[in-house]
Amino acid sequence: MGISDVIPVPVAVDEELEKWTIWGRPLTDVWFTTTEKIHEIIDMGPIKNVLNWGRKNSLWFLMQPMGCCGVEMLVFGCPHYDCDRFGIFPRATPRQVDVMIISGYITRKYLPAIKDLWEEMPEPKWVMAIGECAISGGPFYDSYNIINNTDRFFPIDVYVPGCPPRPEKFIEGFRALQEKIKQRKDKRGY
Amino acid sequence: MKTANDVLSALQSAFPGVIEEAKVAPERQLWATVKPERIVEVCKYLRDNHGFDHYSGAVGVDRIDEGLFEVTELLASHGAHKVVALLKVKTPRANPRVKSLTGLYWNANWYEREIWEMLGIDFEGHPELYPLLLPDELVGAWPWRKDFKGYPDVTTGERAIETITPDGYTKYHIPPTQAEIEAGTVPAQRPKYPTFREREEMEIKETSEMILHLGPQHALVPGPFLLDILVDGERVRKAFLDVGYIHKGIEKIMENRTYVQGIPITDRLCYMAALTNNEAYCGAVERLLGIEPPERAQYIRVITQELSRIQSHLLGTAEFLTLIASPVYSPFLYMIIDREDVISCIESVTGARINHSFVRFGGVRNDLPDGFKDMTLDALKMVREKTEEYKELFLSDSIYKRRMEGIGVLSPSEARRLGVSGPPLRASDTPYDMRREDPYLLYKDLDFDVITRKEGDSKARIEVRLDEIIESCYIVEQCLDQIPSGPIMADKVPKRIRPDPGEAYYRVEDHRGEMGFFVVSDGTDKPVKVKARGPVYAYFQALPPLLEGVYIADVVAIAGSMDACTSEVDR
Ligand code: SF4
Repeated sequence: MGISDVIPVPVAVDEELEKWTIWGRPLTDVWFTTTEKIHEIIDMGPIKNVLNWGRKNSLWFLMQPMGCCGVEMLVFGCPHYDCDRFGIFPRATPRQVDVMIISGYITRKYLPAIKDLWEEMPEPKWVMAIGECAISGGPFYDSYNIINNTDRFFPIDVYVPGCPPRPEKFIEGFRALQEKIKQRKDKRGY
Repeated sequence: MKTANDVLSALQSAFPGVIEEAKVAPERQLWATVKPERIVEVCKYLRDNHGFDHYSGAVGVDRIDEGLFEVTELLASHGAHKVVALLKVKTPRANPRVKSLTGLYWNANWYEREIWEMLGIDFEGHPELYPLLLPDELVGAWPWRKDFKGYPDVTTGERAIETITPDGYTKYHIPPTQAEIEAGTVPAQRPKYPTFREREEMEIKETSEMILHLGPQHALVPGPFLLDILVDGERVRKAFLDVGYIHKGIEKIMENRTYVQGIPITDRLCYMAALTNNEAYCGAVERLLGIEPPERAQYIRVITQELSRIQSHLLGTAEFLTLIASPVYSPFLYMIIDREDVISCIESVTGARINHSFVRFGGVRNDLPDGFKDMTLDALKMVREKTEEYKELFLSDSIYKRRMEGIGVLSPSEARRLGVSGPPLRASDTPYDMRREDPYLLYKDLDFDVITRKEGDSKARIEVRLDEIIESCYIVEQCLDQIPSGPIMADKVPKRIRPDPGEAYYRVEDHRGEMGFFVVSDGTDKPVKVKARGPVYAYFQALPPLLEGVYIADVVAIAGSMDACTSEVDR
């Protein structure tokens, strides 16, 4: 498809434009295109870095306390530790967040529910495992009801050890995630 | 006032030959074994004639060597006297059946359901023996029996099989282990019962009714649970509660750890009340060991526990405020800031912000640091001023009042019947506080008031919490003034903890109510059974009847004012 199919322009202009490219792709592809094509192009170019810079500075996380670490997560979202200064902000619904924090033990009964939460989150999204329980089962590793290999179910980018980690550690974890996003090394490859 | 010996002699004369192995130890606890056929009559007699109107829980113990299950019923009284009756019923392992007490005590329901799903003891006459905490695939495996083969289980996650249902949900199924199959402990026939969803849907009678789900993830409630309400228009007709989303099997895990290794696990029972959980567990084991902490250690325990009460009440109130409306979001943030100061004080002693593992058998782990007194007094002064300010800020606010007054009213008799304890009970004009009722540590010498309110509504519950903050400040100040110098550990604490065979029950006043630990020892270094009787379990059980007939908008106001902590319910 060319420009002249849509708006009346001289054929010469059309031909001229078809020769133009942007990162090796015809410019007309970009003008008359689908979202996927735009994404492909954005993925190739440096504009992605700009986007990721924006994403990394606005990481909203899901307030979903599951265990003891959940209390520390609550405090982390409050003024004393002031996560807002890094663009990190707690939200209550999965529809509005970028980061899910697994903040405790995943049990047989909760696994489907938490997977649903993860699927409800819009892209781009990341997941962090905070606390021993979320990493490997922690003090309850040998329980009959605990899932201890969380990484099989979620593409976890950052692990923050501790039982519970201090809120400062949460900040450290988020900084690590930001660094990963910036360098485009996160698991889901944004 | 009645003593345990009075009750015992009355029982023995009323039921000759039914009461065996009776003893009174320590002074306010009455232990007895009752013939299984007569347990309901005995309990009825105690309830009607001796004021045992508080059913405080039941413990199931697997005595595999003797081929028996024991169920111990814990009965107490709301103020008539201070005796706790621990009545034991024995039933053979081959065909375990016990008579249900649900006809006498409404709140026996959940306790018996739990014992049924964990140990497989059938409660005759129980109206709804459905699983409470376990996922469906474990029902029938009876995980708390000593011969359960699925423990330890470190491969649960690896075995999970993922399926996507046609409507796009992810489902997981975790097949049994090889060991379970070989040992034949996988239930050949699972008990038949309707699922949670089916039970809900059975209640729908008219086309105008529908079910609304709150949870399992709900903002700001620390821990997931599912609260389903069946609504007709704006009114809730019935509420259903599904818990067990973070059931970790703490009691089973503690049976397989040594006594000392159990202390960190009790922290994780309810992280907001780690210190009181430690206290309850250590107190029970100290009773078994027959040791008592030295005076300074007791002071340190009281100080840290009261500080912990302050931080828990601050967080509880803060959460409640965010739940009811976002315009009162600022007090939430203020309270968290205040809480940080209190946490710093606790941290300077225990070394941890939450999950302290601080109390030890016969003492505490370490002494107060230098400068603790000044630091704490400063923090308390600030907390006290701020609390007064909060009262002014929202308790006297007219919108808040109109929203909260008369919401979720629990009358005193209703509150006792439902078995709640702690601030919700005291807000219903019942001065029931373990610190007075069953004084532990130094509380009998300390000067403090038990805060009560007459109204019993959501507003009163919050007021009780705020007043208790001030009362706790006062207790800590007293202790800081009086604290003597001396050792912080008792002398005769053995290196390896191996209590003599026996049982002990120890109750403390948690931040949320009555917390008890029941520990059974058989002389080895691991307990036979550790049972945590938590207050939030009782709140949760009381929630569905409390929600009947209210407006949808009030559901969070009522549920939030209970200050719930799912972790302790699920254990
Ligand atoms: S890692 Fe430790 S503190 Fe965190 S949820 Fe697990 S047990 Fe609790």
